[in-house]
Amino acid sequence: MNVTLPSSIPTSSRALLPRLTRRGFLQSGGALIVSLATPRLGAQAPQASSSRSISIASWLELRDDGAIIVRTGRTEIGTGMSGFYPQIIAEELCVRPDTIRLIMGDTDRTPDGGYSAGFLSGADNLRKVGAYTYQALLRLASKKLRAPVDSLTVEDGIVSSNEQKISYTDLVRNQRLDLTIPVSGGTASVDPKSWNGLSGLDGLVVLGNPPTRPMSKYKIVGTSNPMPGIPDKVTGRTQWTCDVTLPNMLHARMVRPATLGSTLLSVGTLDKTIFPNAQVIVKKNLVAVVSPNEWEAVSASQTLAANTRWTNWAGLPTSDKLTEALRSHKWATPPEGKGSTEETVAALSASARQVSATYEQPFIKHAPIGPFVAVADVHADGSVTVWSHSANSQGLRAQIANTLSISVEKVVVRWLDHAGQFGRTTFGGDGAEGDAVILSQITGKPVRVQWTLQDDLAWSASSPGWVEDIACGLDANNHITALKSSFYSPQSNDARIVGAILAGMPTLQPKPGYWVATEWAYDRIAHRREEVYGMPNLGDDSPNGVGMRGIIMRTPGQRQQNFALESLLNEAAAATGTDPIAFRIRHTSDQRLIDLIHATAKAAEWQPRPSPNPNPRGTEGNQLHGRGMCLMVRQNACWAGIAEIIVTPSTGVIQVTRFTIGADPGKIINPRQLERCMLSGVVMGISEALKEETTFDTGKITSTLWTSYKILTMAEMPEIKTVQISRDDKGYGGGSEAANAVCPPAIAAAFHDATGIHSRRIPLTPAYVTRLLQIRRTAS
Amino acid sequence: MADQLTTNVNGHDRAITSAPETPLLYVLRNELRLSGPRYGCGLAQCGACAVLVDGAEVRSCITPIAATAGKKVTTLEGLPLLWAQSKGATADGGTLHPVQQAWIDEQVPQCGYCQSGMMIAAAELLATNPSPSVAQIKDAYTNKPPSPHLCRCGTYAAIIRAVQRASMTMKS
Repeated sequence: MNVTLPSSIPTSSRALLPRLTRRGFLQSGGALIVSLATPRLGAQAPQASSSRSISIASWLELRDDGAIIVRTGRTEIGTGMSGFYPQIIAEELCVRPDTIRLIMGDTDRTPDGGYSAGFLSGADNLRKVGAYTYQALLRLASKKLRAPVDSLTVEDGIVSSNEQKISYTDLVRNQRLDLTIPVSGGTASVDPKSWNGLSGLDGLVVLGNPPTRPMSKYKIVGTSNPMPGIPDKVTGRTQWTCDVTLPNMLHARMVRPATLGSTLLSVGTLDKTIFPNAQVIVKKNLVAVVSPNEWEAVSASQTLAANTRWTNWAGLPTSDKLTEALRSHKWATPPEGKGSTEETVAALSASARQVSATYEQPFIKHAPIGPFVAVADVHADGSVTVWSHSANSQGLRAQIANTLSISVEKVVVRWLDHAGQFGRTTFGGDGAEGDAVILSQITGKPVRVQWTLQDDLAWSASSPGWVEDIACGLDANNHITALKSSFYSPQSNDARIVGAILAGMPTLQPKPGYWVATEWAYDRIAHRREEVYGMPNLGDDSPNGVGMRGIIMRTPGQRQQNFALESLLNEAAAATGTDPIAFRIRHTSDQRLIDLIHATAKAAEWQPRPSPNPNPRGTEGNQLHGRGMCLMVRQNACWAGIAEIIVTPSTGVIQVTRFTIGADPGKIINPRQLERCMLSGVVMGISEALKEETTFDTGKITSTLWTSYKILTMAEMPEIKTVQISRDDKGYGGGSEAANAVCPPAIAAAFHDATGIHSRRIPLTPAYVTRLLQIRRTAS
Repeated sequence: MADQLTTNVNGHDRAITSAPETPLLYVLRNELRLSGPRYGCGLAQCGACAVLVDGAEVRSCITPIAATAGKKVTTLEGLPLLWAQSKGATADGGTLHPVQQAWIDEQVPQCGYCQSGMMIAAAELLATNPSPSVAQIKDAYTNKPPSPHLCRCGTYAAIIRAVQRASMTMKS
């Protein structure tokens, strides 16, 4: 097999070259099993007598009944991974995607681990697994057909050479074949040295460069393969995490402290005549009610909460004073920066004029539509099975093992569908699993913990609020010569399991910090300096150890930093009287980006002119019309967004009337699923731009209902137009998320276009818009 | 038990053993093992638990089971039967309700958690308004009490397309 290993592979690993071995002939059955050659896991040979046994080391199984089983620790997070992965494998294997069955996320049935943040993080592995397998199958067919490998063609799993044909299934019939492929890395483990307290986030990585099919020859990637789970979700057959039921299972509801820092003074009591089967469980500050009857657990927990007493704690600055609090923090040196400070500062000083601004956003929430739920069964021998919807099963396994002080081998995490949670569990924590394992350990029974909406909105980690100072210098020709930005935010890597913190059990130890997230679109800006400052969680010294935990959320870092960057570009375009699209095109030579801008502008029927709108009043007269745009480059993908809005000054309400979004994510895997992700990402992005804010007082989060943590409704959704550009020569880019981040800067720009006011904060709520309009009236 | 509650769920009379004040949601899920309706907020603020009671959408998380005594409850699992009955059949022949088929054809669900409630709302809307405009669809999902139907993944555009597709099927 012609395989090139990267030079980084140590000589000792050369033994890990792909190897095809026949384990024996069988009376019936037969399979080709693709397993992993890793020093850590070892590639254990499955028992030859049991052709249907599942080996942890098996990544892909091609069975003689035609089934192809692919096992990956990555999971479906609602963006179509379960449709894309079969396409990738099918493309390399030359089979139909519907012949592939995916097993996802179960730690005892999948080999590789890794987090499920998007297609890119898992695609490369599967592409190589498919390619290695294809090469092995060609070699088998070559022997069988007595024809050279390069004379073979394959279609739908049938190998042909001239008039001869043999199917994959016949190639493996009555044989047990093991293909061992080289991998590096390891599965997740708790690691105090890691920035988020966990190492092995990427899981195992397939090594080598097996020959892969050229993208220009793709037949399956690029088609709109449906998401395999949809029919079951539509007919009620899906088993969701919340549906897991075990014999003797107890239902639990948590009774959380009065504030994010309170400790327990006294636990309340329950009237046994009213709640005959309910039991109160206390471990340090972890308080819960369990009952075999869910409704009894619900009712009893409400009664118990009313007569349980906690210390008061007031260690938060309040959401109204968040920016002041961030401003007054004594920031250390930036943990990360890009570009030269000296050169950028010098270029700024030498510029003809400067445009500068400060942008900010409050804390926001992932806000899954289903609050987190988990079922745990701690067995008599101390081993644990957990049913979860975490986006990182191996990371969760490592955390649970750490909390219970047992080895990871004693923990099994089984993954099931549940409500989308947009990055909250990328590091394997922040769910109900900790509560469930602790309660199961104490009661000796399986326990199902269902968080309430209030639990979820008040006690889960949030995407932290932030402030960014940004400035650019322009020359006499209105060209930006230098740009400098400083981003300030609490950490967003705290994936500690909240139940473990409250119970005083071991947790991860994430380190405060931040990272430069923008990818630079403007190569014609000569000098730039970007720096980021991280601080610990607000209230990180709270007596119960919880405080205001920060965790990444969809399109992390870039959502925030690109908002500031693109808003400044819009301000600079306006300050120079330049059309915002023309202004951007002057500052980039990236033809891919320029093509996308033009295509998106065309779809939006963009008429070039500077902002603000010289004639904002439409036919109604009492409303203001505006339009704005922004760009983003992220994960080998280009994005452009154009917002058209109507502002009603009397109410402060902004209605986005149309949003046009363009994406060039390299090779588009699945146009329809990409369109779904673009349409829905726009909804989430508009929601963030107009509505979302986590409010808190001095001790607790106060936006704990859908009436106080507001998200976009269907009536508020605009007409959405999508533009897609697929390229065969740019590899894969990220498409499943990022659409959300394209909305806020475009909407803020449209607000300026309509009103002449630069909004430097989101969300643009009616109250905030009214305040901005009042400030201007007072000023004029 | 003479005063035992009986509710017709998806075409079958079911004797209910749960306490009468238990919300319908917990009875459907835990006693009758129907996993279509799901817990979202417990406060009638999101729509994930929606079911039809005598053809009208209710939020099962705040509806005591006692309030459904003698009534007809339809969950996601019962939509095929509802459709069959509307065509004069007494049992569903395995054909999905046009709303469900449209949800598949339009690839509506992303995570899918809210979609049972979304399909229930669509079934109710189309039973009362066979040809809703986009504005009417948006209005039904947003302004009808007790709360908007919320989708955090943001599938609203796909829902509108699917409701329109189902509308065409049901009229043909």
